[in-house]
Amino acid sequence: MKALVNEPVAEQACLDQAPSGLTPSEFADLYTSHSRAIYYLALRFLGDPQKAEDATHDVFLKAFRKMDQFRGEASWRTWLYRIAINHCRNLQQAWHERHLFSNADDAVWESAAVPDDSPLRVLETRELGERIQKALDGLPAEYRLLLLLVADEELSYEQVGVLTEQSADAVRGKLHRARKAFTVLFRKSA
Amino acid sequence: MKRQTKFDSAEQQQHAAGQQTQQQSALEFAAAEELLRYDAEHTAVPGSIAQRLQESTGSLPPPPARSWWRRLFRRGNP
Repeated sequence: MKALVNEPVAEQACLDQAPSGLTPSEFADLYTSHSRAIYYLALRFLGDPQKAEDATHDVFLKAFRKMDQFRGEASWRTWLYRIAINHCRNLQQAWHERHLFSNADDAVWESAAVPDDSPLRVLETRELGERIQKALDGLPAEYRLLLLLVADEELSYEQVGVLTEQSADAVRGKLHRARKAFTVLFRKSA
Repeated sequence: MKRQTKFDSAEQQQHAAGQQTQQQSALEFAAAEELLRYDAEHTAVPGSIAQRLQESTGSLPPPPARSWWRRLFRRGNP
């Protein structure tokens, strides 16, 4: 299985420049390298393609504005994930306070499949995506986030632990339960 | 008889191939995160995000440089 994102990156070049910020071209590289991971996290965390699109835009805009706060101790991917997690949590909290729920319609979901795929593939991907979303929606938020982060092969358990504020051992323990819960819900969604 | 054997053989092969396919697909998504990885690979990032981002960042001043004291602090504490 391939990594979550194929990396066409010049990440090392970006890291070398990190202390003094990135040039627009390097920032574009940063977006190219990490936008799929951030968009996918937002999509499955929020459960709405339109909101995920807005969230991804906002996350990268925040990153652009706060570039000077990147300390170079974590990877760009981890730093961007941290911004994305906080942003998505804030959005969810705001929606719950206003009693708003996701109302993504079918047309929006259709646009989430890779456009180069055949119609059959698009249908399969869409159905699979809907089942995955249903299963994830049924999980506690903590398990959902853990699974989404662990699915990114670029992140170690230690990094997932830092992002979710727990030890790597705790991540492993909860991951086992999260996998089981996801599998049950995914089977039910068939 | 030979034909029957051939048929059996072909049927067995088909059955075996079917089993192999089932095993492969079961193996492919053995863990939830593998399924999510597959889903992520087949999820397109809307092109409109990059366009919006370009417009948003274009109207902002260049990214702030890291302050001199942070650079100094980091140099002393790698």
